Amino acid sequence: MIARPVFRKEVAIVGIGQTAYAKALPGTAWELAMQAVLAACADAGVDAADVDGMCRFTAPFETATEAQLVRGLGIRELSWFTQAAHGGEALGAVVMHAAAAVSAGLASTVVVYRALSQSKGGRFGRADGRGPGPGSGEPGGDIVVPEQDNRSFAWPYGLMSPGQLFALWARRYAAVHGLSDEDLTRALGTIAITQRRYANGNPSAMMRDRTMSWDDYRGARMISEPLRLFDLCLENDGACAFLVTTAVRARALRTDPVWVLSATQTISPYREPMGIYTSGELLELFPPDAAGRLFSQAGVCRADIDVAEFYDATSYMPLRSLESYGFVPDGQAWRYVTEQGTGPDSPLPVNTHGGHLSEAYLHGMNGILEAVRQLRGSASNQVKDAEVALVGAPAGSAMILAR
Amino acid sequence: MPVVPGMTDLTAPYWEAAREGRLVVQECQECHVLRHPPLPECPSCQRQGHGSRLGWREVSGKGTVYTYTVVRHPTHFAFADKVPYVLAIVELAEGPRLVTALTGAAPEDVRVGLPVRAVFREVADGVTLPYFEPDAGGRHGTA
Repeated sequence: MIARPVFRKEVAIVGIGQTAYAKALPGTAWELAMQAVLAACADAGVDAADVDGMCRFTAPFETATEAQLVRGLGIRELSWFTQAAHGGEALGAVVMHAAAAVSAGLASTVVVYRALSQSKGGRFGRADGRGPGPGSGEPGGDIVVPEQDNRSFAWPYGLMSPGQLFALWARRYAAVHGLSDEDLTRALGTIAITQRRYANGNPSAMMRDRTMSWDDYRGARMISEPLRLFDLCLENDGACAFLVTTAVRARALRTDPVWVLSATQTISPYREPMGIYTSGELLELFPPDAAGRLFSQAGVCRADIDVAEFYDATSYMPLRSLESYGFVPDGQAWRYVTEQGTGPDSPLPVNTHGGHLSEAYLHGMNGILEAVRQLRGSASNQVKDAEVALVGAPAGSAMILAR
Repeated sequence: MPVVPGMTDLTAPYWEAAREGRLVVQECQECHVLRHPPLPECPSCQRQGHGSRLGWREVSGKGTVYTYTVVRHPTHFAFADKVPYVLAIVELAEGPRLVTALTGAAPEDVRVGLPVRAVFREVADGVTLPYFEPDAGGRHGTA
């Protein structure tokens, strides 16, 4: 394990940009990506033509390609570009790769972006790629699930969507730690309602005008027990982008660069993102080693983290992330969340933009943007004097950022 | 319309056994470790350089519910008329776990540790899936 800081004060985020977030936006993922990249460049004071590196998630997660962006934005040349495998479960990876490239001198101005146009097909909550409504029937014949990543062992039973998978995790968590249904409901509901309150204070959030009471939360329909409607993330269109550059260039561009202290990715047998977990303890799919690397490489400890933006495809994930990143001992996050909460006055404010549950779903990228705003002191729900932030997916793919 | 598993050379023996009403799990003939889903080689024997001979072991079909979820909202049109259904990960008595669905169990009666046993259902012409049902005589798991 590398124990020294790998990127410390060598790499910074100097620009952030986003589109509006909405159920449906005009424009393709390509167009949305360009809007976000231009906004990030404008925020940094960089001419988009000067971008020389790009990093994104692999297809099918990211559909807007480097070629489209280079052509569409008139970027002169990319000297380095790459893709990180998987989607939001590999959130730290895109930052890790971008930072490594900048640190190694392969590129000096790297754009990381994520664009989603779920309204035009490919909703993550629909395994058949469709929306609800009439015409959801299909002429007869078997639907054959090609074998890929063990999917043929899961889909025939109807295990097809992330929400169903995370429901299995949440149920296991409750059973292992002896939670009653009410214990779990209170913990998950606290997260959902707290994030909604943050969203109510965030003008960019899709749920900015929609409050959520405990009655609203408890009364929402069950989607995949124990997860209710409001335990699941939004589905939407939108894009996020940010610019990663060298320390020298960052200092020349602005007075408040946000430093990438560390970033991690991880994979090990039967811990594949969205895998079916047929070996090992299900709850250990959040690898403690990866969290250890994250902190040791950054040279900070848990107590240094002022704000956390945890990947939340479901409300269960921030709960478990509090444990997997070492903020709360295993099996105690449900009690911690119920008693201390994750709100502005809690020991560790979490998902201060409203998260995927209430701001918008951008595969974790909007959490990175929120962390940057927090560290600049410009967030809608500003955590006072925030200096160090953790942004992390539950599977150990994460980053620590600092002002 | 049924959703059926596509098969590869590696996975076909599992589904062929299911069609005969048998539950099988891949077994390394050298070190006798059971693995599901199957792998092209036994990782530990292959790593130690003496190769692996993989086969299939018929298992008891008995196990316990490791975790489950009651799906109330279908995410695929093929399951629109199936909700609610109970998805589960079952831990077999022999050790490995598999994804399945429970049958013959009221959603409110399902819990982690529930003893279950395999039953086989033909879901399409020539395609049988192993499901699991409560096993009244089974031992409660500590899973």
